[in-house]
Amino acid sequence: MRGHGRVIEYALSTLARRKFKNFSVAAVFSFLIAVLSSILFLTHAYKTETLKLLEDSPEIILQNMSGGRHELIPVEYITTLSGIAGVGKASPRYWGYYYDSLTSANYTLMAYDENMQDIKLLQGRMPASEGECAVGKGVADIRQVGMKDDIFLTLGTEQNVTLKIVGLFSANSAILTNDLIILTKDSLIKFFNMPADMATDITIEVNNPSEVSTVARKIRRTFPNSRPILKNELIRTYDNIFNWRGGIVLTMFFGAIAAFMIFVWDKATGINAEERQEIGILKAIGWETADVLYLKFWEGAAVSLSSFFTGLILAYVHVFYFNAQFLAPVLKGWSVLFPKFEPMPYIDIYQIFVLFFLTVLPYVAASVVPSWKAAISDPDSVMR
Amino acid sequence: MDAVIRTEGVSKVFNAGLADEVRAVTGVSIEIRRGQITVLKGPSGSGKTTLLGLIGCMARPTEGKILVEGRDVAKLPERFLTSVRRQTFGFIFQQFNLIRGMTVRENVMLPLYPTDIDGRQMVRRMEEILEKLELSSKRGVKVGKLSGGQQQRVAIARALINEPAVLLADEPTAHLDTKLSEDLLNIITTLNMDGKTIVIATHDPLIYDKPYIDNIIEMRDGTVREASLL
Repeated sequence: MRGHGRVIEYALSTLARRKFKNFSVAAVFSFLIAVLSSILFLTHAYKTETLKLLEDSPEIILQNMSGGRHELIPVEYITTLSGIAGVGKASPRYWGYYYDSLTSANYTLMAYDENMQDIKLLQGRMPASEGECAVGKGVADIRQVGMKDDIFLTLGTEQNVTLKIVGLFSANSAILTNDLIILTKDSLIKFFNMPADMATDITIEVNNPSEVSTVARKIRRTFPNSRPILKNELIRTYDNIFNWRGGIVLTMFFGAIAAFMIFVWDKATGINAEERQEIGILKAIGWETADVLYLKFWEGAAVSLSSFFTGLILAYVHVFYFNAQFLAPVLKGWSVLFPKFEPMPYIDIYQIFVLFFLTVLPYVAASVVPSWKAAISDPDSVMR
Repeated sequence: MDAVIRTEGVSKVFNAGLADEVRAVTGVSIEIRRGQITVLKGPSGSGKTTLLGLIGCMARPTEGKILVEGRDVAKLPERFLTSVRRQTFGFIFQQFNLIRGMTVRENVMLPLYPTDIDGRQMVRRMEEILEKLELSSKRGVKVGKLSGGQQQRVAIARALINEPAVLLADEPTAHLDTKLSEDLLNIITTLNMDGKTIVIATHDPLIYDKPYIDNIIEMRDGTVREASLL
């Protein structure tokens, strides 16, 4: 064991002797790991965050379709829906989009209902009467308004609607509420000029979650023009979106990965005359082939492990302390009001292991194999 | 006096069967006697360095036997061959072959790094050898900053750290001036008086003309031309 410790010590001193070469490799390696890990961390954090948000959403959202497009849905459907076996509670939702030409941003306007009780407010309360509203942090920031301020929205008729801000949503719920303006149901219906007996969609609770698909089929049969959207489908869709976006970024980065792998391979396999000579000297003075391989293993391991963990730490800091400044716009999507939420540090250990096996192990192998070729040859080469 | 090393019909062929095949040593049978200074003498290309490498277990012969302390090492697996090399031989190379960028003390202790020797014992041995070779004040100096003579002494110190029974030196004066060569020979004779068996491959008359050389083996074209016990 003493011997192994001294060989490791020697490996580290060897790295220090060739510091420029090893530092440049470590810098590129760390950068690569940092970028790859940032993508993985951020994608996973978004997916986990979205999943947590969708956990509380209804099992089924029922939309009415007309000409292949989402249409308002008659509220009277609820009576029929309640009669379908397996359906628990069905409630209408009132919401719509509003394009704010002042800031070139899209807001989501939504009528307050009891299901929103779980959304945390930073300040104030939910709207209780006509002319009141609660707004997300993004809306407040872009319109530069705060509690008790008025916010003006312009109707298609060029008539301004003034709403008093009585509540501000907490930044923690930003992914859900950033572009949100909550009004009372009457205010919203009036704002969008919706017919009194129509809603935007209907949320449906299912008594037995394992029967969701069956219930959805029954609903579809009962209302052929409707589209039941299942929570699981939403989760899958978000998963796919983030995987797709992560994949796009990874693909863009593929060139850099390929260049690095070639660089690593060239560095690791291209054992130079000086290194070959050093291996010969070590063999000549009594080192065994196994000792030389152990040395080379630790040289490769020290560079790749330190780079790997440096990259991981950089990625962690980038994603979870600096909110992934360089990647978030690509992964979050098209919205004008990017939620400035801080991704929670959810890390998929499996992904870390995959990254480890795809980067550290090839590097170590590429360091050891060419040295092995030199180490098994007779050491008398150093005499000539 | 008994033989530490004996070769029987040893040959070494490089690149055997290829167009650039080289027969470096052919049918050499010699004896290296314990406690003596033996010189392998001959011009460049005569095979003396190859023979030195063979008797030092640095390479395997293509044919023949090499008996070290009576044991044939020619067919030993690599691991055992290394073990014999580490325990029996210390090497002094023509080019010194020190590790650049490392200090004197690190270079000297390097052969012991992979062994299980206690760290304090290793340092004690290193200190003793540096003291003997008047290198104590240079122990923390990088070898690249030393003169040729000092580097040669560091190489000798490294060869001695394993406490080998046999010291093998390949053209040890090739890069030294006359004064430094004399100093080196003084060190070698002192080591010989301490009981070390010494084998020197050289074509430098400054070495083989010395009266204290016990045995001269003259080589030419890969064969022993003449062996004389002085």
